[in-house]
Amino acid sequence: MGTSPVTVAHGEQPVARPAPRWVGGTVWRFARKKPLGAAGALIMGAMVATALLANLFATHDPIATEAARTLARPGADHWLGTDNLGRDIYSRIVHGARVSLIVGVASTLLGSALGGVIGLLSGYAGGKVDLVTQRILDILQGLPLLVLALVMSAALGPSLTNVVIAISVPIIPRAARVIRSSVLAIREMQYVEAARAVGLRHLRIAFRHVLPNTMGPFIVLCTAQLGSAILVEAALSFLGLGVPEPYPSWGRMLSLSAAEYAQKAPHLVLFPGLAISLAVFGSNLLGDALRDTLDPRLRGA
Amino acid sequence: MKTYLLQRIAIALLTLFGMSIVIFGLLRLAPGDIVDILFAAAGYVDVKQKQAILKELGMDRPYWVQYLEWLWQIVTGDLGKSYRYELPAWELIKPLLPVTLELAGLAIVISVLLGVPTGVISAVRQDSGLDYVLRLLSLAGLSMPSFWLAMVIILGCVAWFGWIPPMTYVGPRENLRLHALQFLLPALAVGYRSSALIMRITRSALLEVLREDYIRTAEAKGQTTRVVVWRHALRNAMLPVVTVIGIEFAFMIGGLVVTETVFNLPGVARFLVEAIQWRDYPMVQNLVMFIAIVVILSNLAVDLLYGVLDPRVRYGD
Amino acid sequence: MIRVQHLALVGSAVLAFTAILVAGAPAEASKPGGVLTLTLREDLPQGFAVHETSTISSVWPVMPCLNNLVLFDPLKATESPDTVIGELAEKWSWQDGYRNLVFFLRKDVKWHDGKPFTSKDVKYTFDILREAPDSPVKLRINPRNDWYANVEAVEAADPHTVIFRLKRPQPSLLLMLASGYSPVYAAHVPAANYRTSCIGTGPFKVKEWRKGEFLEYVRNPDYFVKGRPYLDGLKYVVIKEPGTRIAALQTGQVEVSFPNEVSKTNADQLKAAVPKLVITPYSTNVNDNVIMNIKKPPFDNVKVRLAVSHGIDRRALIQAVHQGGAVAGAAMAPKPYGVWGLLEGDLNGQPGYGKAADDKAKARKLLAETGFSPQSPLKVEMVTRNIAIYVTMASFVISELKQIGIEATLKQIETAQWHATATRGDYQIGANLTGIGPDDPDANFYENFICGSPRNYSFYCNEQVVAQIHQQSQELDPKKRLAQVQAIQKKLEEEAARPLLDWRLDYFTVWPHVKNLIPHQSIYNFGRMQEVWLDK
Repeated sequence: MGTSPVTVAHGEQPVARPAPRWVGGTVWRFARKKPLGAAGALIMGAMVATALLANLFATHDPIATEAARTLARPGADHWLGTDNLGRDIYSRIVHGARVSLIVGVASTLLGSALGGVIGLLSGYAGGKVDLVTQRILDILQGLPLLVLALVMSAALGPSLTNVVIAISVPIIPRAARVIRSSVLAIREMQYVEAARAVGLRHLRIAFRHVLPNTMGPFIVLCTAQLGSAILVEAALSFLGLGVPEPYPSWGRMLSLSAAEYAQKAPHLVLFPGLAISLAVFGSNLLGDALRDTLDPRLRGA
Repeated sequence: MKTYLLQRIAIALLTLFGMSIVIFGLLRLAPGDIVDILFAAAGYVDVKQKQAILKELGMDRPYWVQYLEWLWQIVTGDLGKSYRYELPAWELIKPLLPVTLELAGLAIVISVLLGVPTGVISAVRQDSGLDYVLRLLSLAGLSMPSFWLAMVIILGCVAWFGWIPPMTYVGPRENLRLHALQFLLPALAVGYRSSALIMRITRSALLEVLREDYIRTAEAKGQTTRVVVWRHALRNAMLPVVTVIGIEFAFMIGGLVVTETVFNLPGVARFLVEAIQWRDYPMVQNLVMFIAIVVILSNLAVDLLYGVLDPRVRYGD
Repeated sequence: MIRVQHLALVGSAVLAFTAILVAGAPAEASKPGGVLTLTLREDLPQGFAVHETSTISSVWPVMPCLNNLVLFDPLKATESPDTVIGELAEKWSWQDGYRNLVFFLRKDVKWHDGKPFTSKDVKYTFDILREAPDSPVKLRINPRNDWYANVEAVEAADPHTVIFRLKRPQPSLLLMLASGYSPVYAAHVPAANYRTSCIGTGPFKVKEWRKGEFLEYVRNPDYFVKGRPYLDGLKYVVIKEPGTRIAALQTGQVEVSFPNEVSKTNADQLKAAVPKLVITPYSTNVNDNVIMNIKKPPFDNVKVRLAVSHGIDRRALIQAVHQGGAVAGAAMAPKPYGVWGLLEGDLNGQPGYGKAADDKAKARKLLAETGFSPQSPLKVEMVTRNIAIYVTMASFVISELKQIGIEATLKQIETAQWHATATRGDYQIGANLTGIGPDDPDANFYENFICGSPRNYSFYCNEQVVAQIHQQSQELDPKKRLAQVQAIQKKLEEEAARPLLDWRLDYFTVWPHVKNLIPHQSIYNFGRMQEVWLDK
């Protein structure tokens, strides 16, 4: 009798579902029930594919400048036009997907994982440990998100890894909150008490029994934070503190001279913004559908 | 109730204390200080002159001394002087507040006016075509980068009207029309985003409440559906909505960096970012603490409002 | 009856009248009144303390408040020794073979707080600037100390006479004093006060400085030039976001552009949207250049440096980075924008100006001679400042270097650390911008190419060139001096000391009703606003 995935939230009675026999069946049922979520998954899938196969999809070298063709309109040779240095916008957007995805996913996973572990331990331990941890998290959360990312970015210096770290830090308290509230409910479950009665050590209980059951909220949290992480990266790049050249970044494409040349070349402003919006839109759609599926409060609705 | 309040205040003070340490330390982690920026504006560097200025500003003393001095200043109500402008920090912060508060306030009003009705409609007509459309529209609002929306609005104004909102603050008494235009456009940009959040929360909270037992009881009693929805359900659905409004408002106090920058509004966030770039420690520290206090107060207000809205919640013993 | 005498009278009157018209009546009658709205790309870095900063963000908004001893005539676009006019000085004369400069000061000048202006103020100011041992005050930051290295003493012979005694002849001193960087401070005001407020003698008084938002001036009714200024006031609005700034200019909320912030593409766009805008291309006296750390490998090898210089196609850069809004030149600004630059013919022989393919081939050959090839490329880290104009230029340079086999990664350095990094030599190669106050060889060479100067970021030290620089500084014959300056420029490019990429052009944009605001070939010298009037 294996522990089946139990999803719980906010004191409701847990409903145990039988383990799915065919993963494909679940996915198909999901797609039919939640077409929006399927659309989101499709968008995210396309983004991942673009990021992985950037060199295949791109038509030009994203950092190659072409002095003769600056600010060209979208056309046959440059599908989305060129920017003020003559670089192909389509290729830069394709390669930018790589950066946005890497930064978004890495910072989300990093922040959520760290925050999740903190929330798990804090919620499971309870008592004074919980109280102190919560206050520390309060402190982190009380600082304005962008300010925190800004100062961290300035402190660490502009580089890909440092941007990931800077964006992951504000995610930690939010992730810890969500996982902790989930853990608080699970902690009172009968099978946890049973495990304790059998004599299993706390850490083992925490990681082997409680943690898997927080997967649902964790996945939802991740997809929700992914969109936010992508937006924060874009904002940081816009302010000049994000991923440095020559990595193409959607946010930076919007800052460097885009607004200045917008009257002559509106495609400079339009396409990177659309790309960011689409990516976040997709991750939000997917996150919504996942939350609807995994959160029993809205089931049957 | 009183013990609860005292408890909250004690925790709040503890949190503020912790935050002061974090912001003090983080700032000094960032490489470079005000003197480096001053030399950058002068185009050269001289080590001896740098040392002299550091001494003049009191920055050559050990960190813990400077930290304690700052704490003491807060306690005595002296917010210190800006390193850059050499003026008392409060004098510089004061004119920023009405701008940010007005922007945040307008944005919240717009977001509630937009978000709550659409959330209700969406919940009542769940899974209908209208529901999908509304949800997609609101999701679109959440997905757009705020600075992009702001840029598009400004560029649209230039392209279609040959006009942009005023670049310096126009008070309501000076010129109400211009003042309204100056704040409405950015408030709309920010409000659209917030309205998406409010709409989603309203919808999900209402859906949850509509399935509760006492709603069924009310329906069984025979009152019409409309009255049921509006009187019972809405009131209880408002709890999480109020929480989100509180969070959003608190976020807006220090978070509207790009909106204020693109629309050139002299608000708190824009000033804060510049202060960070200038390593103007007194300004950044005091502004961040100020924002933190606003956040804590607004959280407290939300919690108290909970007590009013939901008779099931009780505080203290 | 018409007599011959009558005819003669009328005839001569007509002749006289026409003569007057032709000789010098103004084209349009200047009208007093009105407030001019300008823009700033950032708030004043150190308030009104021009002597403690070195940026256009400080000079442009502060010039209306102060005066110099002498200034370049605002109404003449090309600055030269012939366009220097008096401000606080009525007359001046060089004596003793350009060793002593005597100024006769005006007697009718008052500071904004009512106190009279005397020679004491001049002595005070320039003693501070040259860090005289007996100066009572020290500036906490003094970027232009080296401009006055040659001044032995400043004497206030009587309340309205000042004598600059020099160690050796230096004709350029007058030009440096005519730059916007050389205003006179009040002796009775602590120098530090200028960071927060401005007591000057200038045509405008500070009305309000709302930090981070705007700086507002009001007309100085007691200004010593009667009938000036024409304007009632000035308002400099801070707009940090470049797109918003251009939009404000286009819609007329702002009437004057910020110097060096309107590129050619911006200008084309503005002209297309509002055809009546008056757009004047001019050289800003700011250039793009490449700094290379000569003290460390691989750039201690002149062949590698030359390879870099050959590898960067100057014309392509001008087209790509500036859309044609820049001009080629060597260490001094080229004609017709500057007066000392190398001529087209001389330039064509320099690295980077030939046919792109040939230059790149030469670069690859040079690199091969030093041991690098496409198989084992030279890997370097290029530093640049973390702002858009630097980064754009650096990106292009990187893509050029890639083609000759140098793989460069870009490290963006925050403003706070840029100068420290460059001065310490904590870099290999960098993409840099250099702005020079007046179009003068002394200001340029002494700042950037003398051994040990803090702004000689490349640590270039060639004793022979230093001797040549000293020589031209003392040369009194303008023709000879021009030849010497051009020889120095050629040498600098041959040694790839600091390869010059281009001189930035700016497209100064004003609305047509703004009159008499004429850009000069240096952005730092024409912001007094004394002659400007509005035709509204």
